[in-house]
Amino acid sequence: MTTAQALLPETIAGLLGIGGTTGIVIGSLLGAFLIANLLLINTAVAGPWAKRKITAAFTDRIAVNRIGPFGLLVIVADAVRLLSKELIVPEDVDRPAWDIAPLIIPFSALLGFAVIPMGSGVHLADPETGLVFAFAAASIASVGLIMLGYASNNKFSLLGGLRAVAANIAYEIPLIIVAASVVLFTGSLQMSEIVAQQAAPLLTVAGVTIPQWFIFVNPFAFVLFVVANIAEVGRNPFDIPEAPTEIVAGYQTEYSSVYFVLIYLGEFIHIFLGGAIIATLFLGGPAGPVLPGIVWFLIKIWAFFLFTQWARSAIPRLRVDQFLDIGWKGLLVLAFANLVLTAAIVGVIA
Amino acid sequence: MSIQSVAEEPELATREELMDAVHRLLGERVVGTEEHLNAPAVIIAPDTVVEVLGLLRTELGFDHLSCVTAEEHPDRFETVYHLTSYDARTRELSVVVPTASDDPHSQSAASVFHTADWHEREAYDLIGITYDDHPDLRRILLPETWVGHPLSRSYDQQQPQIVTLKEWENPLAEDHRAAEGDTMYINIGPHHPATHGVLHVKTVLDGEQVADIDPDIGYLHRCEEQMCQTKTYRHQIMPYPDRWDYASSGLLNEWAYARAAEDLNDIEVPEYAQVIRTLGAEVCRIASHMLAVGTFALDVYGDFTAIFMYAMRDREKAQKILEELTGQRMMFNYFRLGGVVWDLPEPRAEFFALIREFLDELPQALQEYHDLISGNEILQLRTVDTGVLPAEVAKSYGATGPVARGSGIDYDLRRDDPYGYYPNLDWDVVTEPDGDNYSRLLVRMGEVEQSARIIDQCVTLLEEWPEDDREIQSNVPRTLRPEDGAEIYRAVEGAKGELGIYIRADGTDKPGRFKIRSPCFSNLQTLPEMSQGEYIPDMIASLGSLDIVLGEVDR
Repeated sequence: MTTAQALLPETIAGLLGIGGTTGIVIGSLLGAFLIANLLLINTAVAGPWAKRKITAAFTDRIAVNRIGPFGLLVIVADAVRLLSKELIVPEDVDRPAWDIAPLIIPFSALLGFAVIPMGSGVHLADPETGLVFAFAAASIASVGLIMLGYASNNKFSLLGGLRAVAANIAYEIPLIIVAASVVLFTGSLQMSEIVAQQAAPLLTVAGVTIPQWFIFVNPFAFVLFVVANIAEVGRNPFDIPEAPTEIVAGYQTEYSSVYFVLIYLGEFIHIFLGGAIIATLFLGGPAGPVLPGIVWFLIKIWAFFLFTQWARSAIPRLRVDQFLDIGWKGLLVLAFANLVLTAAIVGVIA
Repeated sequence: MSIQSVAEEPELATREELMDAVHRLLGERVVGTEEHLNAPAVIIAPDTVVEVLGLLRTELGFDHLSCVTAEEHPDRFETVYHLTSYDARTRELSVVVPTASDDPHSQSAASVFHTADWHEREAYDLIGITYDDHPDLRRILLPETWVGHPLSRSYDQQQPQIVTLKEWENPLAEDHRAAEGDTMYINIGPHHPATHGVLHVKTVLDGEQVADIDPDIGYLHRCEEQMCQTKTYRHQIMPYPDRWDYASSGLLNEWAYARAAEDLNDIEVPEYAQVIRTLGAEVCRIASHMLAVGTFALDVYGDFTAIFMYAMRDREKAQKILEELTGQRMMFNYFRLGGVVWDLPEPRAEFFALIREFLDELPQALQEYHDLISGNEILQLRTVDTGVLPAEVAKSYGATGPVARGSGIDYDLRRDDPYGYYPNLDWDVVTEPDGDNYSRLLVRMGEVEQSARIIDQCVTLLEEWPEDDREIQSNVPRTLRPEDGAEIYRAVEGAKGELGIYIRADGTDKPGRFKIRSPCFSNLQTLPEMSQGEYIPDMIASLGSLDIVLGEVDR
């Protein structure tokens, strides 16, 4: 993967034979459509099927196995089921906000993927501030969450929305500071540049070249980033905003049918976006032997998904105050320590 | 301490000596005496309840108000306070408070024993006795709109209870928002993922912290007491106990009725049947504790996680044994007055092998639980020092079972008021000193181990039991008519605590009054004590650690 590789809109424009600005616009729209659908397919597999199978494997069960091979067609059945349910609109909900919020959550996550280099030329845009864009896009979801919580006119939703915002503020800051320590190495916020720098060899052991992935360069930062990311996407042990046994379902308590699907979709795409940012910053992006880049990239984001499901099956949930304590007093301090240390090391080497 | 001085007075061992001491203490306050089958009873005036119970508590060590029974006689109402002691369970005393039938007023005991609060509310609700100076005398099991008191004699069962939807208390109607307050009122339940059934917890939140809670029960009230009063002793009542605590402790509940009814009718139980009862009851206890540990973990983890499924898997094995033994998975109906309904399943060797296999796998399973839950740092962070219930508070609320033992109260009816085959077996009472959510979890896990020990000894006994001496039921008359006016209160150690049955015979083959002392009912009362000022998640964890089954709370 080098910066020289053409971006997806240019490739599509080239294939269609349309040049100039028109070509780029059409290519961008088509490219965005393709990438969004790729992600939605992944989410469709992850939500109704893989999540059940994985959890079942952790808990000695079988899970869906009735429809289709390995129960795969449950994805179709679930889609029909969920979409055909009645959309219940409670009294006194704050109407435009109540309808807009479920759209914001999946689309903010999809927007983040615009700048992620997914390998094999699947890369929609490569602005110089790519990393900042990805974080900014992902953060829009917080607005959606508080809208969900407030507009529902339900006290459990309100508590969930407040918890979600508290969580996002507490964990976004360490997340970005840890990301900044990677930027210190690369000297660039451009995603393609970050990936390209990781392709360089770090050292060679017994004939096997280990690339300069930042997980090897700075494993401490990697651990911090993964922890902050799990909190950011609200998964165990940090699933405070939803906390089914405490506040019913948090901000999504009042949602049903299509809106419920959209919120869930958004959460899954957020997990994948979290995995994508981890892959890009620490795991060499789409890099990997033999298989094409896009396959490696999908393997990496699915690995993160699997990790969140493992945590979900095995780790108890923290209490909300403990959760915020860990964010503000633990992760934030460690993130700054990591940043200062990295800055010093980079300064000395440079 | 007076409790010690009582213990040093060995003469209190017999009823006469106890009554002498009571007379010396109470003097003129004793209006009369009665003999109940389980204990002597003193009759007192309705305006001396606080005084008398206070004296008995401080001077004679009666620190456990096990149960409050109310009933209506043709000429009077009666409230019976069943007193005993956490240190000497077999020393019992009933305090009978008769009140006039036209205007039943009696002093409330809630200022002496916290547990009287709910018990007297129930008595008011079902019988219609008014308790003066009660902190909060409302209906508890029936809705506020109910007309009449169903267990009183004047109640017309044919009269339909017509209540329009508008009249119903609608918790959503009021917003409970004070003009300048910082608190928020929220209904947790009756439909909520963590209330273990239909429990409604009226909660006032200050931010995320619990400022005040009020458990609202009665959603699952099925008139169990009244139903038992319309059934005959011999066979018809036994199926009902299975439906009180329906979460797999059926045999323990059946034993409560069996013990009370057997003592009331003077029925002997053959030793062989006692061993089978003990075996079955302990398997039930394991199944029940497995469910408790699993759902507690579910409450803390927040998802259907590995530990919940592991607990269900091991509970399933216990369930399998019970199915082999009784032919049923939950509604066993296996005990009979004077024994059990049938012998162990044939071939016996296979049944024993099934139990042995379960016992052999149990230590490994428990180790797995310890790795996953009690050894987990996050779980410890969540449960240690949360939902603390000090021993003295627990006693005042009449907490029993693992909840009391988690608060360091060394109290277990199987040892302190021996019944069944327990006195001949080798086992320990598990206690933990701290009284927090974690202690209650550890107590349950420890009790599973102890139950396994008991089962193991029972199996050994049964394996060696001579073939010609396997009497499963003693000779019991077809119709039982205990003497008119005989009263008995007997309890067994259920999975959740002291499960007591009070029966007053009226000379027929059906009980005149049948009262169930539910351990969950008393234990649930401690929830506000545990969760005041705690975070919502800790309140939920405390609720989980109480291990209530609403079928038993509401009856």
